Amino acid sequence: MEKFTKAFPSKPLPTKTAKPWALAGVVGSGNLEVLLESGGRPKDAMECHVETSIPGYKASWLAALADFAHHYPAGGTKVTINDQGAPPVLVTLRLRQAYDHLTKGDK
Amino acid sequence: MITAKSATRRQNKAQRIERVGKLARGKFVSPDKVPEILRRIIEPGDILCLEGDNQKQADFLANQLATLEKKDLRDIHLVMSCITLPAHIELFKKGMIKQVDFCYAGPQGGAVADLVKAKKFPVGAIHTYNELYARYYIDLTPRVALIAAPKADRKGNLFLAANTEETPAIVEPTAFSDGIVFAQVNEIVDKLPRIDIPADQVDLVVEAPYPMHLQALFTRDPAAITDVQVLMAMVALRGIYEKYEVQSLNHGVGFNTAAIELLLPTYGERLGLKGKICKYWMVNPLPTLIPAIESGWVESVFAVGGEVGMERYTAARSDVFFTGRDGSFHSNRAMGQLAGHYAIDMFIGASLQIDINGNSSTVSKNRITGFGGAPNMGCQPTGRRHPTKAWLKAGAEANPGPGSPPGRKLVVQMVETFQAGRVPTFVEELDASDPSIRKALHGVTPVMIYGDDVTHIVTEEGIANLAACRSVAERQAAIRAVAGYTPVGLKRKKRETEDLRARGIVQLPEDVGVRPSEASRSLLATQDIKGLVRWSNGLYDPPSQFVDW
Amino acid sequence: MSGVLFHEQTARQRIAALADAGSFVELLAPPERITSPYLAQLGIPVSFDDGIVIGHAKIGGKKVYLAAQVGQFVGGAVGEIHGAKLTGLFKAAARDRVPCILLVESGGVRLHEGSAGEIAIAETMRAIFECRALKVPTIAVIATDIGAYGGIGILSTCCDHRIMTEHGRLGISGPIVIEKWMGKKAYNSADRALVWKTSGGKTKYLLGDADALVHDAPEAVRDALTKLIGKSKPVNLGSVKARQKELQNRLKRFGATDDPNVVWKGMGVRNIEAASLASGPEFAALAKRGK
Repeated sequence: MEKFTKAFPSKPLPTKTAKPWALAGVVGSGNLEVLLESGGRPKDAMECHVETSIPGYKASWLAALADFAHHYPAGGTKVTINDQGAPPVLVTLRLRQAYDHLTKGDK
Repeated sequence: MITAKSATRRQNKAQRIERVGKLARGKFVSPDKVPEILRRIIEPGDILCLEGDNQKQADFLANQLATLEKKDLRDIHLVMSCITLPAHIELFKKGMIKQVDFCYAGPQGGAVADLVKAKKFPVGAIHTYNELYARYYIDLTPRVALIAAPKADRKGNLFLAANTEETPAIVEPTAFSDGIVFAQVNEIVDKLPRIDIPADQVDLVVEAPYPMHLQALFTRDPAAITDVQVLMAMVALRGIYEKYEVQSLNHGVGFNTAAIELLLPTYGERLGLKGKICKYWMVNPLPTLIPAIESGWVESVFAVGGEVGMERYTAARSDVFFTGRDGSFHSNRAMGQLAGHYAIDMFIGASLQIDINGNSSTVSKNRITGFGGAPNMGCQPTGRRHPTKAWLKAGAEANPGPGSPPGRKLVVQMVETFQAGRVPTFVEELDASDPSIRKALHGVTPVMIYGDDVTHIVTEEGIANLAACRSVAERQAAIRAVAGYTPVGLKRKKRETEDLRARGIVQLPEDVGVRPSEASRSLLATQDIKGLVRWSNGLYDPPSQFVDW
Repeated sequence: MSGVLFHEQTARQRIAALADAGSFVELLAPPERITSPYLAQLGIPVSFDDGIVIGHAKIGGKKVYLAAQVGQFVGGAVGEIHGAKLTGLFKAAARDRVPCILLVESGGVRLHEGSAGEIAIAETMRAIFECRALKVPTIAVIATDIGAYGGIGILSTCCDHRIMTEHGRLGISGPIVIEKWMGKKAYNSADRALVWKTSGGKTKYLLGDADALVHDAPEAVRDALTKLIGKSKPVNLGSVKARQKELQNRLKRFGATDDPNVVWKGMGVRNIEAASLASGPEFAALAKRGK
């Protein structure tokens, strides 16, 4: 297992979200779950906590998370990830899904 | 007038057949006599062809050959398209082989790598299928060919059923050069459904004690297609199929292209593409193509081989598939490869590794696999003269010089940036360029498809249009731009990527009108094998390992 | 229909598809981070819901307790937290007299925390029988190939009703375990057709072990649930004796055969090939069940 925490600069989340938290994905082989929670501080950073079963890919993780924080206004969110060997594309896909749920609701 | 040379060759054949003597009754021999017959008909120094591609195998004859020892059989120049059976490896271990020329060694790739390391694999070259078949007529003409057929009649005519594959390409050069053609058959019958190889061209026949091995190679279970593959399929459909109006094509055997096939009746229909794309196919009878065929997308399918379980379906859809007068499916590997080389708008397939110049390979130090048909279809046939819309459009983008053809075949590599277990697909240098591999191959790096031939790379990140790049540096930047979070991708420069995107050389999913959040397996025409059977109205009989009902 | 297949959905998607829009309230939700301490110690990734989502919702305006196991997370296996959530939900159902639905996807007890899992399953069964004594309906939905095995297989059969699809499987020992103990000749676990014809939803429906066989679609599961959430089946000496007799009959009729098609034919299926490809009600129409 490898664990790391890092905050990435990001524009603040829209003030009103549909729900306080959203979860996307499942912990299973080659997959991961992303929990996205609003109401964190500071408002101009996305705080990320990652636990992954495959060590040694920190650079890829950080780049994928930084890109997401750059493309989406996610400041003031806390991202927690439980990973069982998902490829980076799934990281982005699940983040995007969780973000949609958080900001727009389940529909 | 008979020249001295041909007379010698003909005499030599007569001597070999004479040596068989009473071991055969006419052309027919019993299975237990086969090792001794092989010993008598093969001479040291012979070019020996063993039939076996990635599907059908003359496995009984190969197994009998492997029971012989070096004292019986030596200095053999082996020519065969696919090294697939343990028996093939045995011939090398016993030191019978002085040279081998082949195409592909999929399942034995590890064993071949071991033989290379042990210096027991004296390879001439690794070929593409048609390249090797062509050499059967030039400098690699077999003296003896060991082939496989489902049925023979009492005269020795052969019926090849759905798996004609490479048999004619082996038999013709052998038979017309006074070589010996020895066929194993599953059964001998009074009347064949149709004659594929005339008895004239067959010297010996054995009814094998077990049916020839047939690999179900093109059965892709839709249940294993991922959302990411659906996303890539959507991107490819919009960014390439739709853009160039691809009418004739070849698909590789992967899940990526299976996803495209299953999106045609759903997503493709929604985009209004029916009748505009994907009408003429050079592919094996892919089970995942059934929904598109049933929805009226497909005009015709020609194949290099059959597929286990598709016999009844193809017979019932003779409007689409090539069939014999008896109704049964017909394939031909050499002609299919020829079609895939000259007559299609697009080849699209996957690879294990792609380097920063767009070269791809599946070879590594521990697995020497080779090529098969991909390099032949995945290349620019500069002998092509007929125009199509897609060919001209791709050609115009490539900005041909005054001495170049105006068109281009679309050669598309469709890969996820990472393979299973987080192994990056994109690398700075191919494993295949390892010095030990190059040495064994006389200085040649076994590249599957050269970067110069590739027009597009599709990944889950987007499309890189390599044909539109104007320099080597630009092409490398375009590849890095779609290489995601692999080490190769992490080296991209934001400004370069943005510039390429502004010029349409790099396109993200949203640039071709695809919303990644929409990418879901539920878009597929069916999500499992049973669904394919339902689409086929019960005519598709999947291999038992896929059946759970 | 939406075209979405029930067996392809995640546990949360299934709940969202079955419950009245926006009615689901999750208990012990992911932000509470109640995860397995055992898996963490073993260096195995944990999950915020420990492989089971629980809560209450409305289906057709009627309040229900609802749980969905996550088969992808360690095979949906029951550990301490997972088990406590399961037990608590059925206890709450008995306490509040609210029907309880379990969307099953589990191979049984989680080996890494076996004792806790065993105890939790036993306690949940007790809570299920408490519900049944109170005429509070309990329903197990078994609709994925992970199915209901081990303790969860037994637990599922304790409920009033079982809804299955052709993908669902129900049993105690899994196919590989049976093969290991009985030999490949007796039971080839790689023979998928055999496995589904012995433990799959269609066969279970024919034999009466499943009460409804539905299409693999959330709408179909929801329809079946709506029909069953108001109905409870009594458990008493009479019902247990009747069941025992039924099982003895089954053994007498089919105990000697090793061909599942004999069972299908014996249960009224005339056209095996057509029935093999049919699903849900179409399959039921091809069979005269319970003859």
